[in-house]
Amino acid sequence: MLEISGLSVAYGKHRALDDVKLAVAQREIVVILGANGSGKTSLLKAIAGIVPKSSAKVSLAGRDLQKMRANDIVEAGLALVPEGRGIFGELTVRENLMLGAYAKRARAREQENLDRTLSLFPKLAQRLTQAANTMSGGEQQMVAIGRALMSAPDILLLDEPSLGLAPLVCGELFASLKKVRESGIGILLVEQNAKRSLQIADRGYLIETGRITGEGTALQLRDDPAVQRAYLGVA
Amino acid sequence: MFTEPLLSGITLGGIYALIAMGLTLQYGVARIMNLSYGESLVAACFAALWLFTAVSVNPLIGLLVIVPLAALINWLVYQVLLMPLVKRAPSRDALEVDSILATFGLLFVAQGVMLAIFGGNYFSYSFLAIPVKIFGATVSASRLLALGFAVVIGLALYLGLTRTRAGTAIRAVAVDPVSALLVAIDVRATAAFAYALGGALVAAGGVLVSMFLTFNASLGVVFTMKALIVVIMGGVGNLLGCLIAGMILGLTETFVATYVDPGLTLAATYIIFILVLLLRPQGLFGARRS
Repeated sequence: MLEISGLSVAYGKHRALDDVKLAVAQREIVVILGANGSGKTSLLKAIAGIVPKSSAKVSLAGRDLQKMRANDIVEAGLALVPEGRGIFGELTVRENLMLGAYAKRARAREQENLDRTLSLFPKLAQRLTQAANTMSGGEQQMVAIGRALMSAPDILLLDEPSLGLAPLVCGELFASLKKVRESGIGILLVEQNAKRSLQIADRGYLIETGRITGEGTALQLRDDPAVQRAYLGVA
Repeated sequence: MFTEPLLSGITLGGIYALIAMGLTLQYGVARIMNLSYGESLVAACFAALWLFTAVSVNPLIGLLVIVPLAALINWLVYQVLLMPLVKRAPSRDALEVDSILATFGLLFVAQGVMLAIFGGNYFSYSFLAIPVKIFGATVSASRLLALGFAVVIGLALYLGLTRTRAGTAIRAVAVDPVSALLVAIDVRATAAFAYALGGALVAAGGVLVSMFLTFNASLGVVFTMKALIVVIMGGVGNLLGCLIAGMILGLTETFVATYVDPGLTLAATYIIFILVLLLRPQGLFGARRS
């Protein structure tokens, strides 16, 4: 269970996030909907320790992540797939996945996690020796998610995984996220594609200019006229 | 007649490649542009000289002492002198500029200390200066031994970086330090390790060079420049590029010295360097930055 309260992030005088409170449990997909620049990416980066967070309470399974460095947060069981994927382009797919299991927590079950990752993304099994940057956008996203899964996370954070993907590939990607949830991992998903993400999500939060302005189950959000107007393209 | 400069050139080239590999680690992984790099080499030359002449330890045994010591000293330099720069740098580019200034200062401190101890004279010692005949050419045994050691060390480094998880993690930091954090790599510790490893490699190069070249306290900067040229020629972060570019540099220097004029070796070096910069600015094997 990832629990966050009072999370604020500021870049100089600009406040990107203000007093955010949210929670993600194991075996659930939670989506965060918001316009560009509303603070979604800052939220994920702050949780993962890539940008400094102020006056927050961030805990994972009761452990305090507030003061931890980014690499230690991965060891604590939280993995981020950043916007733009952040894979090691010049390294092979196999090396990317192997580095995913660099965390000490992941070593014991490395083979098991590799098998799980390759059965989730069979295409990667055929491309293990290929340099990651020579693959298509969808395949690179698979490498990024696969690498995160290799660290045996309890909670997976995903920043705009469908960005730049063709609709068909996008559909496959969301189907695979459902399988990840079945394996017991909790997913916090930031997405532009509100329609698709509300289809697979259990719950969701709305974020506007750095503040959480609404929350509910995926069904409630789908039926909410304001959400429909803002994110689902319903007039 | 032709094979003699060829063999000398290959030996020199192998050593240049080894030295450049250390610099490419320090720059590629730790993003420190170390202008005092060659001082570690000269210090290792003097250490090998002292061990050989004062306590009659042969330089190959000396490697076992000098190389770990160089790693330790370089690690301490990183932790004490460079870590504050790393911590305050807003970006890797800013760190690069700061590190140039800091190590430029360190260059003069290290050089000054060595000048004070050893003076400006040239030194050499005679270790295994036995002539060996290969393909009709005569080379000294120490040169061949130096080449052999450079090959073994370079190969071990290559295998370590490509075949082990720790080595792959080092390369990952060079490719993308933020993503490295996301797979639980301690980027600062890895950078410190890479910096120390680079210092160990150049010290190994120094011990090997001292077996067949004369050296003095102010020679460091020459080796820093040569390592830099090889790294840029080969493509930053590219070990195979280091090998090829090192060989090109070693062979060019030796052939120009033998057939044209020994005074023109540096000029020849820079002509090649400028040609590479003009025609392939990313280096012979470097990937184009997108």
